[in-house]
This record gives sequence, C-alpha cells and structure tokens, in this order.
Amino acid sequence: MDPSEVEFLAEKEFVKIIPNFSLDKIYLIGGDLGPFNPGLSVDVPVWLALNLKQRQKCRILPPEWMDVEKLEEMRELERKEDAFTPAPSPYYMELTKLLLNHASDNIPKADEIRTLVKDIWDTRVAKLRLSADSFIRQQEAHAQLDNLTLMEINTIREFLLDSLNCMYKLRSNLQPGATKGQFGDY
Amino acid sequence: MVKVVEVSDSSQQKTLRGHEAPVLSVTFDPKDEYLASSSCDGSVVVWNIEDQTRVTSWPLLQKTNDVSNAASLCRLAFQPAAGKLLAVPVETRVHLYERGSWDQVGSLSDELLTQPVNVVAWSPCGRFLAAGAVGGLLTIWDVNSRLVVERQKHEKGFTVCSLAWHPSGSQIAYTDTEGCLGLLDGLSISGTGTGSTTAPAAKPAKGYDDLFDEDDDRLMDEGLSDTNSPVKKAAAAEDEDDDDFLIPSTGRVRSRGAILDDENSLDTGSLKLGQDKFGEDDDDDAGSSVAPAAAAPLRPVYDGPVPTPPQKAFQPGSTPAHLTHRFMMWNSVGIVRGYNDEQDNAIDVEFHDTAVHHAMHLTNSLGHTMADLSQEAVLLACPSTDDLASKLQCLHFSSWDTNKEWMVDLPQGEDVKALCLGQGWAAVATSALLLRLFSVGGVQREICSLPGPVVCMAGHGEQLLVVYHRATGFDGEQALGVQLLQFGRRKRQLMSGEPLPLSPKSYLCWAGFTAEGTACYVDSNGLVRMLNRALGNTWTPVCNTRETCKSKSDHYWVVGAHENPQQLRCIPCKGSRYPPTLPRPAVAILPFKLPLCQTSTEKGQMEEQYWRSVLFHNHFSFLSSSGYEVDEAAQTQSDKEQQELLMKMFALSCKLEREFRCVELAELMTQNVVTLAIRYASRSRRMNLAQRLSEIALEKSTQLQEDEEPEEEPEFSSDRRTSGYRQTEPYNTRQNDEQEEDEEECEEEEDGREMETEETKRCLNPFAKESGLPAKPSLTPVGRVGRSNPFKVADSGKPTSSSGQARVSNILDNMRSSRKLAPLSGSAGKPSKGPVLKPLAPRTKAKAQSTLLQISSNKTANKKTLEAAEPAADLQKQPDTAAPPAENTENKRPKTGFQLWLDENRKIIIADNPDLDETDVIKEAMGRFRTLSADERLLWTERAKGQSGDAADVKKRKRAENKAVESDESNARKKSSSLDPSSKLSAFAFSKN
Repeated sequence: MDPSEVEFLAEKEFVKIIPNFSLDKIYLIGGDLGPFNPGLSVDVPVWLALNLKQRQKCRILPPEWMDVEKLEEMRELERKEDAFTPAPSPYYMELTKLLLNHASDNIPKADEIRTLVKDIWDTRVAKLRLSADSFIRQQEAHAQLDNLTLMEINTIREFLLDSLNCMYKLRSNLQPGATKGQFGDY
Repeated sequence: MVKVVEVSDSSQQKTLRGHEAPVLSVTFDPKDEYLASSSCDGSVVVWNIEDQTRVTSWPLLQKTNDVSNAASLCRLAFQPAAGKLLAVPVETRVHLYERGSWDQVGSLSDELLTQPVNVVAWSPCGRFLAAGAVGGLLTIWDVNSRLVVERQKHEKGFTVCSLAWHPSGSQIAYTDTEGCLGLLDGLSISGTGTGSTTAPAAKPAKGYDDLFDEDDDRLMDEGLSDTNSPVKKAAAAEDEDDDDFLIPSTGRVRSRGAILDDENSLDTGSLKLGQDKFGEDDDDDAGSSVAPAAAAPLRPVYDGPVPTPPQKAFQPGSTPAHLTHRFMMWNSVGIVRGYNDEQDNAIDVEFHDTAVHHAMHLTNSLGHTMADLSQEAVLLACPSTDDLASKLQCLHFSSWDTNKEWMVDLPQGEDVKALCLGQGWAAVATSALLLRLFSVGGVQREICSLPGPVVCMAGHGEQLLVVYHRATGFDGEQALGVQLLQFGRRKRQLMSGEPLPLSPKSYLCWAGFTAEGTACYVDSNGLVRMLNRALGNTWTPVCNTRETCKSKSDHYWVVGAHENPQQLRCIPCKGSRYPPTLPRPAVAILPFKLPLCQTSTEKGQMEEQYWRSVLFHNHFSFLSSSGYEVDEAAQTQSDKEQQELLMKMFALSCKLEREFRCVELAELMTQNVVTLAIRYASRSRRMNLAQRLSEIALEKSTQLQEDEEPEEEPEFSSDRRTSGYRQTEPYNTRQNDEQEEDEEECEEEEDGREMETEETKRCLNPFAKESGLPAKPSLTPVGRVGRSNPFKVADSGKPTSSSGQARVSNILDNMRSSRKLAPLSGSAGKPSKGPVLKPLAPRTKAKAQSTLLQISSNKTANKKTLEAAEPAADLQKQPDTAAPPAENTENKRPKTGFQLWLDENRKIIIADNPDLDETDVIKEAMGRFRTLSADERLLWTERAKGQSGDAADVKKRKRAENKAVESDESNARKKSSSLDPSSKLSAFAFSKN
C-alpha cells in the first residue's frame, strides 16, 4: 500500500470548517453535507475542507487533539509507556501533514504541533522497530501490537514481510543440514 | 497629598501637597505642630501643619509606583511626650531625627535584622523603640544607649505590619500580614531595662479563650462606647490594667489566628484606651490605624435601597473598550475587530460571507470605539476629544458610485453613545439624549429625543430597538426601558418605552434581532428573552445560556439568533464573559427552550414544543403583514407541526382520561384537526368528549363562515371545503356498486378497531360517524358540522351548474344545490374508477391538503374534481385528442394550464365580480391561479398537454348512473368524508406508536 493511498483514506475523516459562503445542503454519495452558513462551523470531509481552503472559501478549525498541550501530554505518555498508547486520531500523521501543509494559517502554533506530532511519530516508529527486532530475534510466531495506526503499519509492512519471507526461505534452505544454533545469526 | 481634618466637626481642613506618589504613612507630632509622612516616591517629608508647608524632606526610600510594591510600609513614629525624636524605618535600620533641627541624630540597627523594617513604635515612656520587620522579626532598642534590648521572631515568620505598646509598657500587640494578632508579653523593660532577658515561649494553643473571656467583652463595650463616655472608659481602662498586672504573666506569646471584625474593634478599643489614658503619650502609629475604625460609628448609616450605578452604553456584540484587542462588533454579517496597542491602531472588518464584501483593514486614526456592520455599510464612531468633536464615519461599501465613505461631525459637546445600522438607514444615539437618523448614503433624516440615557441600540430591516435608562435602579437592578420603532413607508412606534424585564440584579448584555426580525435580548444572568408579538408585545424567556455552562465562571457570548431553524448563536467563553480575539473563537449553537414546568414529563415536553413552535413562528404573520415574502412551505410545515403536537397532547390527555383538558386542547386546534380529534374520541368510546368536541367543531366552522363573509376571497374555508369535497369524491365513484368492499377496505386501514359496530350505523345515519352517537337530539349541530364541508364544496362548485348564484346565505339552499351538484361531481370522478391510479392520487392529495392547510381559492375545489378526472381520461384518450383545445389557446407552456383553469373558473370569477371586464377577469384569474399550490398548477399544466375532450361524455354517462344512487349519495359522501379523517387518524396513531 502506498502512503498516498493511506492519505487518501485519511481524507475521509471529518473536520470542522467555518465557510465564508452560503450554500444549501449538498447531497453526495458519501452522505449529505451542509448546509453551509457563513460564520457557522460545519463538519466536512478533509478533502472538501482542503479544496475549499485552497479556494479561500473557508477557515479550517483544527481537530480537538491538534492542540499543543494535549499533544505534549501524549508525547510524554508515549515516551513513558513501553506499549503503544492510543493515537490521538487514527490518521493523526496524515491529518497533521495535510492540514499543516494547506491550512497552517488557521492552526495556532502550527510549528510546535508539527514538531510534537513528529516526535510522537518518531517515538512510535522507534517502538515499532524495536518490537519488530525483538520479534525476529526471539523467533516468535506471532505478536500483538495494539493501537497502531494504518500509516504506521504501512511503514513497516513491506520491509517486515519481505524480510520475514527472505528469512523463511533461508531458514528452510538451511533446515536440512543446519542446527538450531545458527539461526541466531540472523 | 495629605489632608488634615479636624475630627470633631470636619470644619478645618488642611491640605499638604507635594508627594508625587501614594503616601505610605503619616504621623502626628505629639504637639500637633508637625506632621511627618512617607511616600512611595521615596521621600519622607515633615510638614508644618499650620501653614501647610514642607519643613524638610529626605529622599530615603526606594521609589515605587504603588503601595503594594513598596518594600516597606515605612510607618513613621514620633517619640511620645516631648516628641523629640522621629523614628523612620529605612531599609534594615531605623533613623532617628531630631525635632526642630531635623538632623539625623542616630541610627538603630541590629546585625540580625536583615530585612526591611516595616513599622516602628515607641514605648509609652519614650525610652524604647520597637520595630517590626518583614520576615517577622521584632526588635526593641533602648534609644538612649542604642542597644538592642529584645529580639523576638514571629513564630511563623509572617511579616509584622503593625505594632502597639500596651500603655503600661510591658506588652506589645502586633499583627501580621496573614491576619493574625499576637501579643508579646512579659517585657521587663519598664525598669532600667539594661539587661532584659525575657525569652517568651510560644504557647499558642493555650490562652485563646482566656484572652477572649477576660478582655473581649469589656473591651468591645468600651470600644463601642468610647465616644460617649470617655471618663468611664478611662476608669475601665485602669481596671483592666490592674487586671493585667494581676495576671501572672511570665512571658508568653498569645496569638490567635483568623482575624475577625470584633478583633479589629478589640484592637481599636485597647488602643483607644491607651490614647485616653496617656493622652499625648500614645504612639501615632497606632493612632493612624485607629482613625478609620473610630470614624466608622460616626458615619450616618443608610439602610435603605442603594441606587445601582447605571450600566454604561454598549454596542451589542462588542467586547469592552478598554481591551487593546477587542471585537468592536460581531454580528450575523461579519466581525469588526479593533487593535489599539503600541504598534498599531487599526480596525479589521471581516465578513462571514465573503460574497458580501472582501475583508477591510482600516487605520483607526480617529480613535473609533464603536462600530456596526450590515450588508450595506460599516458604521464607526468615536467619542469627542478635547479639540475634536465626536465623529460618525460610514463606509458605505455597497454604494454604486465612487464615493464609498462619508463622515459627520456631531455638535460640540455631544458624544455618540450607541449606533446601529438598518436597511438603508443608520441610527445614532448621543449623550444629548438625541436619536439621530441618517440614510445610509449620509442624508440626515429624522431626529428625536430619547427618554433617557441610551444603553444600546439594534437595527434590523426597518426596525430599530432602543434600550435606555428609564430611571435609577436600586439594589443592583437596572431600570431600563425599550422602544421599538418601525420606519419604512408607515413609520410608527411598536413599543413606546415599556420597561425591559431583566433577571434580578442583572444588566443587559446583548440586544438585537433574530434573523427573521424579532427583537430579543440577553441579560447578564444568561437569560435570553424574545419579543412575543402575539401576546401584546411581551417578552418571553426562550433560553437560559447559563444552564448549559459547565462551570460557574463560564459564559456564552451571544452573537445572534435565528428563529428558523431555531438557533442561538453564541461563543462559549471559559472563565470569562468575553471571548479573546486570538485564538479566533468558534461559534456554538444553543437550542431554545421555554422554561415551562415539568419538561421532564412527556406532557411538559410537548407543551414546551408546542408553545415554542407557536412563538417561533409568530414572525410569519409579522413578515407577511409588513409586506415581506414569506416562505410558505416553512409556514405550512410549522402549522402542521403544531397541529400534530396538539393532536399528540390530545391523545395523551385522552389516555390519562382528562377529558376537560382534551376539550381545552381542541380549542387550540384548527377545524380539520378537531374532526380528527372527534374520530379519536369516538373510537376510544368517549362519547361525551366527542359530543363536546363536535360543538367546538361547529363553533369553529361557523366562525370560519363568519370570517369568510366579509372577505372577498375566503382562504382557509375554501381549503376546508376542498378537503371535505375531495375526501368525498373518490368514494362517490365507487359507492354505487362497491360500497361494502370500500368500507371494509377502510376498516382495514383503520386497524378495524371497533368499526364493525359503527359500520351499520354509518350506513343508516351519516351523522353517527361524526358523533359516534346515533339518534340524539344534540346530533343536529353535529350533522351540520359534518355537512358543512360538502355543502361548501357545493357552494363553490355550483356556479358551474347553476351559474350566477355564487353566494348562498341559506343553508337549505345550499343543501339543495349540493344535492344537485353531487351527482355532477360524482360523474366527473367516475371514469377514474377503471384506472388503478384513481383512488390513490386524489386521496393522497386530499389528505395533504387538509393537513397542510394550504391556501387555495374557491375554485380549487371545483377544479379538482375535474382535474381528478383528467388523468383518468388521459388514459382512455390519447393526447392527440387533447391537442386541439391546447392549440386553441395558442400557448403550450404553463399558460395553457392556466388557460384551461381559466376556462373552468371564468364563470365563478365573473359571478364573484360581476362588474369586471375581460382583462380584469383575467387578472383576477391569474391572481387566483397563483394561490393554487404548486402541484395543483402542475396538474393543470399536465392536463393541458394531454387534455381529454370528452369529459362531458363521461359526465353524461355518470349522471345516469348517479341518479339511481342519488339517494345514497349524501350518505356515502358523509361516510367517506368521515372515513378519510379516521384513516388519517389511524396513520397518525401508527406513527405515534
């Protein structure tokens, strides 16, 4: 799966905007949106929000979790805990990127938020690598990882699957003549 | 500045000017010749009281800008008795100055004293000087030897802020900044005092009660009575001193926490004693602290209601003017923000809907403090300054010429207090109690006086709401009055200075109009009230914003209200009344809720919903009366909603066996719904109720009839007729041969509940259905009610058959003609019997009509019977046969539909208005045609496309058949008309479940 596909999925998330135009309800396959009243917040999917934003037709309200204090708390928690903590949003990375790239003027302390989300991301991905490493090292048959987001799974999927495949091949080739002690080398 | 006042009669007042900052402390010379003061400007000054001059000044202290920032309180003290020395605490030392020469004769210090000395106090004998320092250190010097005789640390290290010696000189009372009062006891310094060795042990817990028991009561008495009987007090004081001496006081600190009011008076009392006893020996420090407390009982006390300071004028939707970044206006059009800081003095105008205008940035060189914003213009105003008059500036951005701006100077001495914009006008209320009107282009218009100082104004369309101070409010209440003016073609005053109801002890926070133009306002208790035009322009509370607040300090800052949909737009403010400009606040929506009782019960809920719906749809009638376009769909929707709620309430009261209440509810219903209610009542076997309801129905129908008499074009009544007729018609067509089946069908629709019993009756007696009671004397009116519908139809339909006789006053005439007509209409409906769509289409239509109460003209009834026949006819005959008549009229588009309709209805129109000529007839017809609902018109146009030429043939055939069944006709019609409501009712009951 391509990261852009994950991002595409993330664009279905709803975000609040304050439109500066007025429009009746619009009826889409995905559901009804609106009505749009200037000055009144309304929930729309991210793709529409960004589109309107690019045409300067709205102001995006940052999601609730996109707040410096809350993110700092989450970062601390993430660093403290060994396991994964629940992510602020299942698409936190994608939404942060999309919203900050296109609507950073509507989000207070955008730079800080960017750094914080990157920190959280780094911490989580580091954890993921670590657990993948120990997973392989201990030659476990399965592992349980909770609270992973799609994007995080996506980053490691290709590499992990390929390498596991590779190792399996190697292992099965080695199997006849080899003793178990040799596996530790991988 | 220091002021000296003769306490006894306030006659002599001296003013000593010279301090450039707040004065920290003052002290009198014991001989009342001089006065010393210390100030935050760093100086200690000695004044001559008599000639109010500065004798000397020392720049001793650190400069600060406020008392609260001063490092030390710097309480000065003159030596008692002779007053030879003045002690001035300077940092960690105490300077001594000689009286007269004002030279520094010495300085007292102590190496343990590391923090600034706050307060100094001389012992009554003048030999010792006590000093209290920040950090709680108490130090006592022997002034002669400049040696420290006593050091004492406050047990908790609180800063000592006042000291007072016991007149005997053996005790020192002190207070600290935490509000504790302490007593330093057992000072054996009354003798030579060279080697004082007392080491007071802290025994805080013990002796509290002793202290109170021994001293408190008496001291209190003395404190209170000291103005009256100084002699007695002095005596008492001596007693007390004796007591104190008798107490074995071996060095203990008595202290107690929690300062109370009576502690103050206790302090006062004891100090007063000291003054009285020792006369001029008393230390001035204590004297100064006594002054306010002693003065208190002298002041005349007024216990009555206290006038409330009148609230200042404000702009609804603005935050206070003292903020550097503020909203000058937030309304439904946009936001005006004002910035006033070092870098910038500017105004930002932003529109919610950028289609109105793009955002603007203005430099605020005039210092505007008020703003309003409308779809047409931005209005700004500034108060007058010393040399500039108060100005009004208008940016009329919607102007089509090149000058988008105008400015007006108000007359000298007149300030703009409030302003607002309406549609095409601007209003300004000024400090001269004038209301000035301008056109939006800058023409000065009307001017009038206001009854009181303005509080705020709001404009909408042609309405202007002015709130002003009617009188002085008392005990926290504001006395506001309200005027509601209407401009436009007919200028008038809708409300002339009625008092504006506010919650207790609250003030006005916001006032304005809903988007639909109903005035409403919010008070500081968060209660939103809306004008109820239907109840004589009273104010109805519609929402309490505080109910939805999570915490007590949260508020909602209202920015607007909408009646349809019912929304209160406001900004939630955490812990404040106003939102900050950054981060940009988001608007939240609150629902309205009338504060009716017991809204937790189903009954209460429905009542609340009903009355809210009624209240919030008042604006329809207002809008239509003032000539605006009304959204009819929304109006009918709301009517339907109200009637449904009434019906639900009716059903609920029925269930609860509250029949009287049912009747009360029925009185609120429209006639159509009453018939439903009658059905409901009769089915639930409440005959008594049904009978009473039928009386109401009769009343309503006669009322309607009366209403329609004077009118040229009856609206609702015609609608009622049509509904009655429509309901009848589909059944008529079948009745001839399929009567039984038809009934069974209907029964099935109605769950067949207890209908079997009634069925036979129904066949026998058409009236039975209405009342559920066959053969009763009271049935006559009932029957008439039931009949009135079909008769009216007949009335409207008759002109086609019996032309010229449009209006029949006699009911009997009516009946006869209806008899005649019935077959006609029946025949018209007949051909539809074959096609399947026939029973469906008209029936649903009829239902929609009766429930929606659509406004339709007389002719709709007549027309519809034919129209119902048309689709059927279309099926039989090909459109090509219909083409010729359509072509005759030359137009194929909507006009043809109208043409057809006109052909049908021309006679009626002519009958109604015999004196009209041809063009007028067409005009009138056009008007009437427009009043038809959209789908009716559509039907006509469809008909025009494929008109059947043989309606007449069909009619003829039908007539023959119908003659046979004519006698049954009225029965059948009766039944069907009653069946239809009941089927509606069953549908309703279904949905309710």
